[in-house]
Amino acid sequence: MIYLGCLSSTRYQETCKNAIKVIKFLDPSYTVLDDVPCCGALSYHIGSDIELKDHVEYVNNWFELNNISEIVTICAGCYNYLTEYYAQFLGLNFKVKVTHFLQFLAEPENLSKLDLKHSGKKLKVSYHDACHLRNAVVPIIEEPRRILNSIENLELKEMENIKTNSICCGAGGGVYSIFKENSDYNSKLIFDQLNRGKILLTACPFCFTALRRIREENQIKKPVIKFEDFIVNIMEGVDPLSE
Amino acid sequence: MNESGKGLYEKVKKKIEASQEEGTLEKQFGDFWKFACVIKTRQHDLRYLYDDTSREFVDKNRDNLIEMREDFVNNMDTYVEKCINIMRKKNFTVHYAKTNEQAQKIFMEELGDSRIIYKSKSNEAKDIGIIDVLKKNGITIKETDLGDVLVQLFDYKLPSFQIGPGAHFTEEEIAKKIKDVYGVELEPKAQAIVNHFRSTYRKELLNNVKISLTSANAISAEDGTIVLGENEGNISLITRATDKHIVVCGITKIVPNILDAVLVTQLQSRINNVSFNYISLISGPSNTSDIQGTSVQGMYGANEVVVILVDDWRTKAANENLIYADFLKCIGCKSCIYPCTASRAFGNIYASKYGLGATAIIRDYIHNGIEAAVNDGLFLCTGCENCYHWCPVSINCGEILKNMKKEASEKGLAPPNLEQYKEKIFKDKNPFL
Repeated sequence: MIYLGCLSSTRYQETCKNAIKVIKFLDPSYTVLDDVPCCGALSYHIGSDIELKDHVEYVNNWFELNNISEIVTICAGCYNYLTEYYAQFLGLNFKVKVTHFLQFLAEPENLSKLDLKHSGKKLKVSYHDACHLRNAVVPIIEEPRRILNSIENLELKEMENIKTNSICCGAGGGVYSIFKENSDYNSKLIFDQLNRGKILLTACPFCFTALRRIREENQIKKPVIKFEDFIVNIMEGVDPLSE
Repeated sequence: MNESGKGLYEKVKKKIEASQEEGTLEKQFGDFWKFACVIKTRQHDLRYLYDDTSREFVDKNRDNLIEMREDFVNNMDTYVEKCINIMRKKNFTVHYAKTNEQAQKIFMEELGDSRIIYKSKSNEAKDIGIIDVLKKNGITIKETDLGDVLVQLFDYKLPSFQIGPGAHFTEEEIAKKIKDVYGVELEPKAQAIVNHFRSTYRKELLNNVKISLTSANAISAEDGTIVLGENEGNISLITRATDKHIVVCGITKIVPNILDAVLVTQLQSRINNVSFNYISLISGPSNTSDIQGTSVQGMYGANEVVVILVDDWRTKAANENLIYADFLKCIGCKSCIYPCTASRAFGNIYASKYGLGATAIIRDYIHNGIEAAVNDGLFLCTGCENCYHWCPVSINCGEILKNMKKEASEKGLAPPNLEQYKEKIFKDKNPFL
């Protein structure tokens, strides 16, 4: 199943379509279901253990009812929560194999099937490491780099703070909904580090939300693009900078 | 969310508003702090997100340090006993205080009739409540670290950076203040200000100190040596040119041996780029055996060195595996503050009376409970865990804070939007609908 996550499926439907397009192109056996419940990540530090366990069990039952054995998620938060806390709450009762879009894409056979090329002027991009991905039980740090380096005519321009050192966008832990001032400062700092990169890529919908707002508010020219959208652009020969 | 939750939320909101407003103390500090966190030039000593050379130093030593600290936490009693025994043999006066209150009482007894005390910067003394008790008893506290001297001069009450507590004052402000308070006209330059204190205060430190207070960067359990790092020379002066030197610190300052103690101290210097120009190893009071081989105490240095080792929350945290048990490993380097997302964005709003950042908030939680922590900006933490990746002993403050947030939520202290998310997640199965 393709697990889109509630933020993407509610706010970023275009990205969801693109993600589905890429995943199904690589493996048509993946499906998208309706009324998928939220993983519950945002409730972690505000729910009691009993409430959290109840919710996690509810979601797990939903997976079982729908015969879900494997998930590819496009949400960094879902990936982190499903891989770490579901196992903690449910132990061996959680049988679903959870993969993030980036891991799925970085599989050698998928990369060669995609065979991505950018035509035109060499594309210089930077990748922002989301906390949820770099801090996960199985951290996702090298995968996006492998994917980007596999794209012909593209150069990855690393920012100063990357990998486990990356700057948090300020949207994690529900802080974005209460104190936006955090992302006002930190997301701007991320853009400031872009230097030679022409595009800022992120694989986290929370980072994307914060970065997009900061870009608009500060009238920054360089775009921030969600990873899934970027891949589809390259696949379809659309210049990501033209958007 | 209950009434006190609402009140705390409003308070934090107000502080943030103040930090955005031109001319406020919060804004002044915030601007300085942002600059200090990202600056990358050697001209500025308080710097930078993460410097590569210190990171290498941390990485090289991290495994050993973690092992050393875990071993200590698991065998705290043994190390403390060993340390106390050897210190007594070396003529230290050693007190073991079960609680902060006991430590404060012992301290006041050690102070005797003295109404004045000279102290170095000591976060441990704050943690143990010594400063509060001194103030309560009307004892004159003479700060000696220039940063603290400035804080005192300005009567600055807001939380500040533990390592450079006065670093946000400008040269002009300091020169003006000195003119107002002492009537001395100074060129508004750092060098001139330093010269002023050197020419006036140094004499006093060499001649007048009867009782001095410091903490310790580390104490070696094997030989009872106290390690103190500094760059100004104030600690050297007040620990030598004094009658009685009192060391107050938590038992977690103890490390297995002298090499570990020096490593821990060196690490604090390297990470923070404060360059410890002096490291003192104090193994007992001043003494001489130059007359007939008879050991006589109190030659030129301190007559007496009193050590007050405080347990308070520490053994309990280990035995009951409290949510902040991991914090016992902390070596107090304070380097977790620089990479912290919330600290960078919120400066001294994400802080407590113990200083800036997560560790200061954890301390406030330990001593003053969850409401205090929420007031310190607990909910400003994004959980990015930059602190954890950076920490030389891998303490996950993010995780500790997450658990504190949970406690706050259970007590109705979580901010309103988060409460709404929770309801939507559990009821509607989608928080964004």
